[in-house]
Amino acid sequence: MPSLKDIKTQINSVGSTRKITSAMKMVAASKLRRSQEKAEAARPYSSRLEEMLSSLASSAASGEGIIKLLTGTGNDQNYIVVPVSADRGLCGGFNSSINRETFKLVKSLEGDGKNVQLIPVGKKSRDFFNRVMKDQIIESFVDLNVSSTGYESALNISNKLQEFYFDGKFDKCILVFNKFKSAISQEVTQQQLIPLDVSNSKKEEEKENSSNAIYDYEPDEETILKDLLPKNVSIQIFKVFLESDAGEQGARMAAMDNATRNAGEMIDSLTLKYNRTRQAFITKELIEIISGAESI
Amino acid sequence: MATISFDLVSPENLIFNDEVGTIIVPGKDGDLGVLPGHTQVMSSLRPGRVMVYSEDKNLVKSFFVSGGFAEINPEKCIVLAESVVELNSLDKSSIEKEIEELGSKEDKESLEQLSIAKAKLEAVTVSFYDKI
Repeated sequence: MPSLKDIKTQINSVGSTRKITSAMKMVAASKLRRSQEKAEAARPYSSRLEEMLSSLASSAASGEGIIKLLTGTGNDQNYIVVPVSADRGLCGGFNSSINRETFKLVKSLEGDGKNVQLIPVGKKSRDFFNRVMKDQIIESFVDLNVSSTGYESALNISNKLQEFYFDGKFDKCILVFNKFKSAISQEVTQQQLIPLDVSNSKKEEEKENSSNAIYDYEPDEETILKDLLPKNVSIQIFKVFLESDAGEQGARMAAMDNATRNAGEMIDSLTLKYNRTRQAFITKELIEIISGAESI
Repeated sequence: MATISFDLVSPENLIFNDEVGTIIVPGKDGDLGVLPGHTQVMSSLRPGRVMVYSEDKNLVKSFFVSGGFAEINPEKCIVLAESVVELNSLDKSSIEKEIEELGSKEDKESLEQLSIAKAKLEAVTVSFYDKI
């Protein structure tokens, strides 16, 4: 039987764990609000950019140079997969679901005979892929701090990707990230970044074409498109980072809420055990006294 | 005199959104003066000043943008800019210092930054109309 002191120490240690988890929950909740605001604030820019792009996309014939971001290289052999995870743990299944999904995707692409390379973003996915497919990592980005550095971080990665793309190092780039659905649920999503997937904005494009296709372009459509495409890549990445950041905070909040509740339950059951043990000791002592008195 | 709605948007947030009289936008091939009822134009921008004038032609706000796009139609003008700073928050001496530092480097990125910094300096030094 554990001594009373042992149980008391255990109760105290679970109690302080609960304090930590509940504090982390509060922090995550306030960060979540901020991340959500950021994601909200970024929306007008990206939606505008998408609109402009879709109204221009129709005018792009298969071309050379930057237009390739839209039309593709014509090949389908070399892939780059970019898993976007968090830098820190203690957020439930957030990171592991990204890693699992990416791993599955890479395996299935390899099964189709494609070459796959990885650019993990965030410490958790970098560490994971460093263990399982080290030689496929060509670059990694950690310590991004999207909420404080903002757009710069996305720009770095976007520049790197485009450099690789125009060097002919890959034909397609796929992002794997947690899409922010609500504060408590995230959905692992794959998004093709390069070449740009315009199929989802097709409907909008048709609408746009019928209503106002009479824009004057200055200097001309091609020049604008050439400016627009690289920016679009960056902004897509930025959007994904913001979503993932908000998702991370949400996941952490949920995980810490659970942990706090579990700690509470544990304290309750330990307290019960403590009281029972205490009573058992008292009873035992009473029996000793009584039997001692009887024997006299 | 009518007004035109003007949005200035950066990737991080919506910076300006109001009904105004005139906007001067730094188009790639030269400045565009945008008044209510402007024809539909889509233009890419060079680094330069975005000047916002009220209905009675007084300067309301002035910004420096490092390039981007403008979408203009008769009722609305939207400027998408990658980095936006308010003009009067810029400091001439710090820009000069930046130019000096960048001047010695020769990689592509710093050359690009240099041209933006130069445009910034120009935006601060060159005079403009407080009232048009």
